[in-house]
Formats: sequence, structure tokens, C-alpha cells
Amino acid sequence: MSGHKLSLVVNGERVEADVPSNRLLSEFLRDDLALTGTKRGCETGVCGACSVLVDGDVVKSCLSLAVQMNGREITTVEGLGRVGALHPLQQQFMEKGGLQCGYCTPGFLMAAVDLLKRNPNPDDAEIREGLSGNLCRCTGYQGIVDAIRSTAEAGHGA
Amino acid sequence: MHSFEFMEPTTLAEALRLLATHEDDACVFAGGTALLLAMRQRMMVPEIVVSLGRLHDLRTIGWTPAGGLRIGALARHGDVARSELVQQHYPMLAGVAAGLANPQVRNQATIGGNLCYADPATDPPSCLIAMGAEVTIAGPDGERRIPMRTFSVDFFTTALEPGEILTGILLPPPDPQRLGHYRRHLRTAAEHRPVANVALTARRVGSAWDEVRLVVGAATPSPQSMTRAEAYLAGRAITLDVAAEAASLVAEELAPISDGRGDAAFRRQVVRAATRRIVAEAAGLDWKETAA
Ligand SMILES: Cc1cc2nc3c(=O)[nH]c(=O)nc-3n(C[C@H](O)[C@H](O)[C@H](O)COP(=O)(O)OP(=O)(O)OC[C@H]3O[C@@H](n4cnc5c(N)ncnc54)[C@H](O)[C@@H]3O)c2cc1C
Repeated sequence: MSGHKLSLVVNGERVEADVPSNRLLSEFLRDDLALTGTKRGCETGVCGACSVLVDGDVVKSCLSLAVQMNGREITTVEGLGRVGALHPLQQQFMEKGGLQCGYCTPGFLMAAVDLLKRNPNPDDAEIREGLSGNLCRCTGYQGIVDAIRSTAEAGHGA
Repeated sequence: MHSFEFMEPTTLAEALRLLATHEDDACVFAGGTALLLAMRQRMMVPEIVVSLGRLHDLRTIGWTPAGGLRIGALARHGDVARSELVQQHYPMLAGVAAGLANPQVRNQATIGGNLCYADPATDPPSCLIAMGAEVTIAGPDGERRIPMRTFSVDFFTTALEPGEILTGILLPPPDPQRLGHYRRHLRTAAEHRPVANVALTARRVGSAWDEVRLVVGAATPSPQSMTRAEAYLAGRAITLDVAAEAASLVAEELAPISDGRGDAAFRRQVVRAATRRIVAEAAGLDWKETAA
């Protein structure tokens, strides 16, 4: 039905787009902008694989409409770092075994960015609470918790 | 998902007008976390979606010593949890908002949407009833104000009339003598939503309590005040035995639901244990001293 003009910033770049009102943010990012780092998992707000930052806050892009994003600033995993210049969290996820298959990893990274922004020195319980909106079926979580703790300890929290 | 018209009014009056014009074809959209799930499952198929996202006045949280707290219906759970005003004057509510769902949902779901959807498996309703909250509702004929206790009517049913919009939540000025405690219980630690919760507030009078409010949520179609236990607890010195007796009265009075999170018998036992613990905790007693 109705098309909507959208103007927003994605990973630091201005994006203008025309989207149907029923386009989910997760679909818009993956299918319209080809930012396929953001995953579709449960699509019911439980698994967290689709997590992205909106104006710095982590949200589930499967529970958001693209049309809600007019004028907002979005960061996806593609905006965190790149090969050769990884984000400290990405580096630590590699070093501490914070991933195996990798499907959930972009979502965990975005949740971890939000967590460390609010709490640069979380204890393990706070880290686990901060990850409670994300599921991982490979690692048993310990490597992820270790990666976030060591990122914070290295002073990359804030 | 089906296609629909997405409208973004910039004033409350315009939003109300859109609802009045489109009647049953329209529905209100706040954070969208409940609505999008319902629409994708085709449980709701509105033709017109009226977003409140541009009504910035409905997002604010304000406090005055005489008037108490006003939370705009569009405040997100995370806004409530992180508000210094709420943390300072209403720590019970700040704790509830910080502990529900998960970080992502707290950053996108609104407290107003939570109350209006009236899903039983939620936290704020029982807490707000125990705190004596009221809600403000705007409609074609102006604004009305009703107790939260009468807003939650039944399973997915509120006192909202067609075409009305919840605008805010009011909490009375904090009373230094009123204690407030909240417990939520999950079926497993990996779940987000509560299988049952209990909210307790009371005024301290010497070593006893009066004006006791004990409200059970998530275990019943809508939050239920446990009137027998409230009356029993008033005016009594609280001991572990008194806490256990109050828990028995609650277990008798409660009419729990059965669903995927637990059957009625399970919920009755969870609420019994939760009540004993919360009453003991509020009286400064260690509930672990006896097994129940
Ligand atoms: C994974 C997950 C876990 C969750 N866990 C919990 C939990 O542990 N505890 C808990 O309490 N909740 C939990 N929730 C529920 C969550 O709190 C609600 O989905 C949310 O608060 C709804 O708010 P919203 O702004 O997204 O509402 P929307 O989805 O936008 O709207 C919900 C309904 O309310 C109506 N509505 C919204 N705002 C208004 C208004 N101002 N006036 C009139 N009508 C209105 C809409 O028309 C719609 O029918 C969870 C949700 C998810 C997805």
C-alpha cells in the first residue's frame, strides 16, 4: 500500500529510501541495503540475532518497522569494524572463543556495545544480564562473557 | 505481514481524530513490540496503523513533591529504569522496569503499550496497582483519570474505550513510611516473561503495617488484589508464621491460569512461596530460616 520516504543514517552514511510500511527493519537492512551481517533468527524478539543500535540503543530489528527509523541513526555489525581494523570486542570474541558458527555473533556484539556503553566495568552477573536478550547454541556463553570482560579490562568499555 | 497505512500524527488531537475517523480499521502503534508479533501472526490486521512515535510530550517523565510522578505512556521500560527521578523516589518501580524482558525490548517497548496490551505475562501492572497508580486516558470527549486497579479488566482487556489513547501513569507522592517490594518468578532462567509475580506495599505503623496492598500478577488473567491476606496482615506484628499464614490465604484466594508457562497448581505453589518470601523480606526477616 503506502510507500514512505525514509531519510536516515546507517553506519555513518546518509541513506534515502522508499519503503513500504510493512517492511521490517531487519528486512530493510538485509534485503534493501545488503547489510547481511544482521541475521534473522526467531523473528519473535527472543533470540537477538537481529540486534542493531538505533541512536546508540540496542534493539531487535525484527520487532521494528523500517518506517519508524526516519531521522534516526543505525549501527549494524558492518559499522563496528572491518578486516584489519576490528573493533576491540570483535578481536576479543576471536581470541576468547566467543563464537563458533557465528550466526548469533553480530547480535551479541551489538548487545555488548550497548552494555559497555552504559556500564564500562561490568561484573560477570551484569555481563550475563546484558546478554539476556541473545541466544547462542554453540559456545555455552563462557567465551562470550570472557571476551566482554577482557574488552572492559583493557579499558575499551566506554 | 499484510500491508497497511502507517500514519504519524504530530499532535494528540490529530491522533484521536484519526482513530475516530477510521474506527475499527485503525489501531494505535507505540513501540510495536507486541503489535508486530500479533500482526505477523495475523491475530490483528489493522488497515490503518496510527503511530504515536511523534507525540514527544507523551515520552517525558516528570515529578513534583506535591503531585508525585507522571510517566508519559510512551516512555520505554529503559527510560523508566534509568530515570533518576524514578530511581530516587520510586525504587520499586525502577527495579521492576530494569529487570523485565531483556535489554533490547526495554529499549523499544513502552510502558503504555505494556498496560494497553494487557498480556497477563507482564510485570508493571501488579507493581503499579500496589503502588496506588492512576492512569490518564484521552478520548474524543477529553481526558479522564482512573485507578490502575480498574484499568486492567481481564485477559488482554482494559478499560480503554474504542478511540481512546492512554496518555500517562500517575503515582502519588512517595510516603517515607510506605515500604515496597516486588518478586518475579520465571519458569526457567532463560525465559523472559514471568510465570507469576507478587507486589507488596504497606505503611509502617510502629512495628506493624496498615494500608497493605498485596497484588499478584502474571498468574491470573489480570492482576488480582489478595484482599484476605491484605486484611490479615494489617495491624499485625509480622513473623515468619504470619508470613506463612498470609501465603496460605493467598493460595486459597488465587484463581490461577494454566498455560504453556505452567498449570494452575504450579502457579498456586509459586505464588504461595513468593508471598511468604516477600512478606518476610519486607519485614526484614530471613525467609530461608524455615522450609515452606
Ligand atoms: C521477547 C519479549 C519479552 C518480554 N518480556 C516481558 C517481561 O518480562 N515483562 C513484561 O512486563 N513484558 C514483557 N514483554 C512485553 C513488552 O513489555 C510489551 O510488548 C511492550 O511493553 C508493549 O509496548 P509497545 O510500546 O511495544 O506496544 P505496541 O506493540 O506498540 O502496542 C501494544 C498494544 O497496545 C496498544 N497501545 C499501545 N500504546 C497505547 C496507548 N498509549 N494508548 C492506547 N493503546 C495503546 C496498541 O494498539 C496495541 O494493541 C516482552 C516482550 C517481548 C517481545
